[in-house]
Amino acid sequence: MIVDKKKMRVVNNKTPSVDGKGLMQGRSFYTDDLAEQNSLVIKILRSPHAFARIKNIDVSEAQKINGVALVLTYKDVPHVSFSRAGQGYPEPSPHDKFILDEYVRYVGDEVAMVAANDEDTAIEALKAIKVDYEVLDPVLNFEEAFENKSVIHPEDGINEMFPIGFDPKKNVAASYEMQVGDVEKELKKSDVVVDETFYTQAQAHAMLETHSSNARLDEHNRLVIYSSTQTPFHMRRILATTLGMPVSQIRVIKPRVGGGFGGKQAFHGEFFCALTTLRTGRPSRLVYTREEVFGSSYTRHPMRIEMKIGAMKDGRINAIDCRALSDTGAYGEHSLTVFMIVGSKVLPLYNKVDAVRFGGRVVYTNHVPAGAYRGYGAIQGNYALEATIDMLAEKLGMDPKKVREINSMKEKETSPIFEIMGEGTKGTAMIMESCKLPYCIKRGAELIDWEHNFPSKKVSDTKVRGYGMAIAMQGSGIPFMDMGSATIKLNDGGSYMVTVGATDIGQGSDTIISQIVAEELGTTVDKIIIYSSDTDLTPFDCGAYASSTTYISGNAAWNAAQKMRKRLIKEAATFLEEKEDNIEFDGTTFTSGDKSITLNEMSIKMLYNKNLQQVAVTESYYGHVSPPPFMAAYAEVEVDLETGEYDVLNYVTVTDCGTTINPMLARGQVEGGIVQGLGMACFEAVKYDKKGNLLSNNFLNYHIPTNKEIHKLTTEFADSYEPTGPFGAKSVGEIGIDTPPAVICNAIYNATGVRIHSLPITPEKILMGLKELKK
Amino acid sequence: MLVSFYLNDVKVTYEVKPGEYLANTLRSHGVKSVRIGCNESTCGSCTLLVEGKPVMSCSILTASIEGKHITTVEGIQEEAAKISRHFSNEGADQCGFCNVGLALVIYALKKEYKNPTDEEIKNYIVGNLCRCSGLQSQVNAIKAYLKEE
Amino acid sequence: MKVNEYYRASSLEDAYRKLQEDPKNVILAGGLWIKKIGQSVNALIDLSTLGLNKISENEKEVVVGSLVTQREFENSKVINSLYGGAIAFATREVMGVNFRNIATIGGSIMGRYPFSDVISGLLPYDVELEFYPNQVMSLEDYLGYKGKLNSILVAIHIKKEKGNGFFKKVKTTALDFPIINFGVSKVNGKYTVVVGNRPAGSIRATKAMEYINNVANPSELDYKKAAEIAASELAFMDNKDASAEYRKELTKVYVKRGLMEVNK
Repeated sequence: MIVDKKKMRVVNNKTPSVDGKGLMQGRSFYTDDLAEQNSLVIKILRSPHAFARIKNIDVSEAQKINGVALVLTYKDVPHVSFSRAGQGYPEPSPHDKFILDEYVRYVGDEVAMVAANDEDTAIEALKAIKVDYEVLDPVLNFEEAFENKSVIHPEDGINEMFPIGFDPKKNVAASYEMQVGDVEKELKKSDVVVDETFYTQAQAHAMLETHSSNARLDEHNRLVIYSSTQTPFHMRRILATTLGMPVSQIRVIKPRVGGGFGGKQAFHGEFFCALTTLRTGRPSRLVYTREEVFGSSYTRHPMRIEMKIGAMKDGRINAIDCRALSDTGAYGEHSLTVFMIVGSKVLPLYNKVDAVRFGGRVVYTNHVPAGAYRGYGAIQGNYALEATIDMLAEKLGMDPKKVREINSMKEKETSPIFEIMGEGTKGTAMIMESCKLPYCIKRGAELIDWEHNFPSKKVSDTKVRGYGMAIAMQGSGIPFMDMGSATIKLNDGGSYMVTVGATDIGQGSDTIISQIVAEELGTTVDKIIIYSSDTDLTPFDCGAYASSTTYISGNAAWNAAQKMRKRLIKEAATFLEEKEDNIEFDGTTFTSGDKSITLNEMSIKMLYNKNLQQVAVTESYYGHVSPPPFMAAYAEVEVDLETGEYDVLNYVTVTDCGTTINPMLARGQVEGGIVQGLGMACFEAVKYDKKGNLLSNNFLNYHIPTNKEIHKLTTEFADSYEPTGPFGAKSVGEIGIDTPPAVICNAIYNATGVRIHSLPITPEKILMGLKELKK
Repeated sequence: MLVSFYLNDVKVTYEVKPGEYLANTLRSHGVKSVRIGCNESTCGSCTLLVEGKPVMSCSILTASIEGKHITTVEGIQEEAAKISRHFSNEGADQCGFCNVGLALVIYALKKEYKNPTDEEIKNYIVGNLCRCSGLQSQVNAIKAYLKEE
Repeated sequence: MKVNEYYRASSLEDAYRKLQEDPKNVILAGGLWIKKIGQSVNALIDLSTLGLNKISENEKEVVVGSLVTQREFENSKVINSLYGGAIAFATREVMGVNFRNIATIGGSIMGRYPFSDVISGLLPYDVELEFYPNQVMSLEDYLGYKGKLNSILVAIHIKKEKGNGFFKKVKTTALDFPIINFGVSKVNGKYTVVVGNRPAGSIRATKAMEYINNVANPSELDYKKAAEIAASELAFMDNKDASAEYRKELTKVYVKRGLMEVNK
């Protein structure tokens, strides 16, 4: 259904977020705010070794401490392998994790669990546990992991759910190969070939609310878990399977979430809360310390990406050959899917090639496990691809903007990659029904004055400004796999209760869905009461990941609202004794000729007087395609040539995300993504010592951008309409993060002549590069 | 030990441990608006006002505030609502975890500065990390809020 | 953090007596670092009722009570009037307002933290520390003092002289410790050069100072030479934030820029 944007009253208009005021006023609604007052406090004993086997573990002293309720080691928990990734079923991630195991595979891995009356007692009990380790040789360099003599997962009972290239004896969590056309032949034919290798780091999510969960038993003795999660329904399923309980005995509630960015797609303390409460009958809570969030949860997958591109003299790209090696750390959450996106949501940008090849391995190491993180493969791939495109342009003697204009995706075009590559499986062919990338490139260039500024201009004897660009794409959910649903119930007085499984994690999906429903039903957002998400009360949703919420859950809500509108007209027809076709509904009143009834009146009558019933509808939606949002990004950086220090003075983006359901929230998503991307590009160094201890494990040693580093963001959207999206919308949650590494890399090169091949791009690397150039 | 102080102008007396920090004391007495994001004096989520000055409550000993006036967001509800409106207008609000600390800092900024420059605003709020927003939008929202009266 | 007792001292004498009672008794300044290191403490000694939170001045010097917060210090008119505001500027570079409202000047100095911006900001000037009981020591001597001083810092005395100052903190983001920091001054025609967090603590570059102080009418080339001397006379090391080589390069640039700046 195509809707005229000019007629939209709620959608595509400034609407304040539905929860903003309550958040600012400090209401109690985050997970730990809602823990029962007398909960047992859970603490985890964590491995001091990067790789070891527990020879002996003695908890008797800990158990004797007054106030200790429960101590668990690997001997006390179900020995069932599973994946904590928080994905659909069957998961494309290996089942390689046990709740507790006799092996510990990174510094920070779980050794034992203590539940006690208070935190001090729990910490005292941790210290009383005696562990005798057999220390093993760790693998701390991911380029040496493949077929290393140290095997990180030597144990039995681990498996893949379907073929993902899982080969644990070789330290391989997953592998993948694909090819279209003959890459070798096309490269040989090319006038110019560039071949470059890039490294990306294990970025941390650094959401402000640390991982938090708590558990209690309800009046029916069912297990109730509150969790700061992006995937409550997957959590219920995986808890049930792993603990050997029926799904019906578990309820998962997701309160407000203080930031996720993918880090809360996976599970953290929920198993320990569940076990503690089931075994003691008492409520329990587990809140990660900041150090645990950094050192014992998940990171972005660090990668090495080799990018080879061949082109003809006229700038036409013939072939792209991309090989990647990904470090999944100790466990394989999202190993294959993140890896595949390096290809599938990056390489189709240049869809006119005659041949494209992508492949490589995801290896285990004794590092903090990698998992889902906003941008998920795309940011790594984008850095390598878009930096290489600039190098190609230089070799061709062309403006890199021109090279992108000639070769990039246009509306109504496609790429064979879409059909070949999905997420862990085969993909889905699709045509770009909406793609305003050419406009984005053109408009962005105007905003940064590319024509006059590229490549650089001198500011003083020591300062130069450089200008760089990149383009990017994402997806909108996973076709035929991600499903969302919504239930709408009419209340007396004419307001609507909307329950969705879609998980608002701060991105604003409660507001977006309220707007979609209000638009369709001709009402305003204040008439919508939205509740998300609770496995007992709300219909199913796969969760907040893969840029799916606006597109998938939004379409589900739109479908439900359309059904509700039809249903209301049907009921009004009964009241007005008219045919449905003759009835007009403006959101408040049903009219047919001179007869009318208000929604208010009808809603009350249906509960108390006439045509008695509860009007409620439920609809679901899954994607048949995954329409990509597109972006062109440009930056102006100012570099101090004597010190390598630089400032990003302006970051310009023009985004095609279809209709912006809420322009302010869309801007928040884009700009928030850019700032996180700038963090990865410029500041967020990940440091381990030689023994595998993570040194960058707090906010003093891991530097996320502050407002002092952000000088100017120029954010615009293209006028675009995606016919398959709700009111024309596509996703916007991830696209913003993809470009900064490449854009900053290109801008720094244009300012200094130094090409940085590893992230973050630090002043030290730039200065050392400048010194190298002088030699 | 017993410590008495004024919580939003109401005198309270709590039994605390000598090494207990204010954020923990308040949360254990039901003041859940105090968010703990890092518990190591860096992120600023737990910021509240002591004698009108913003401090990180995860890092100030409860025993040290004997007799002092503490303001949490419960003490500035109307201002918080106004600030929230400007955050919404600028697309600066997302997960909300940093918002309470920020609201109190912005409130203190308004009392301390008449017409702060962008630089002064940034210097004042830099101790409050936000991982969601574009950050620039926060500064714009604060400027709009300060202009309101 | 485990603390057995919170002790409110009634006088400096009382505080000093309590401090000597047990090696695990400590003076509470802002309390930030005690939390960071998480060591167990017997008694925390609170001096907050002893009037150590004031800044005063006389003709010769500014006297800053040890419990003056960093925020009060940086906002003080008299501190801002000293040496072109360079000392106040250095303090402003420490974390955020909500941190500096807790952190005290006394705590920053007593800790002798190698990464201290406050110390690198003060060391280029004539600064004396007043201890109870009855001891006065220059800041420079205190930084070089071997062992633990079991006295109580009461105040710091900053000499009021005509002069210019420069401070630079090289950092990754605004909430970072310095990768390296620099304090440079020209007071009564004499230059002082300080480099901190090399990653060893703040120190005066005496050879560079000697060189530049003996050049009549120094030119840009002389400043460059002095900076090179500083870079070669001081010890630099690698750590997770930067290499020794990068710190050395930064020293060459920022000492030169500092010397030029204080001549403006």
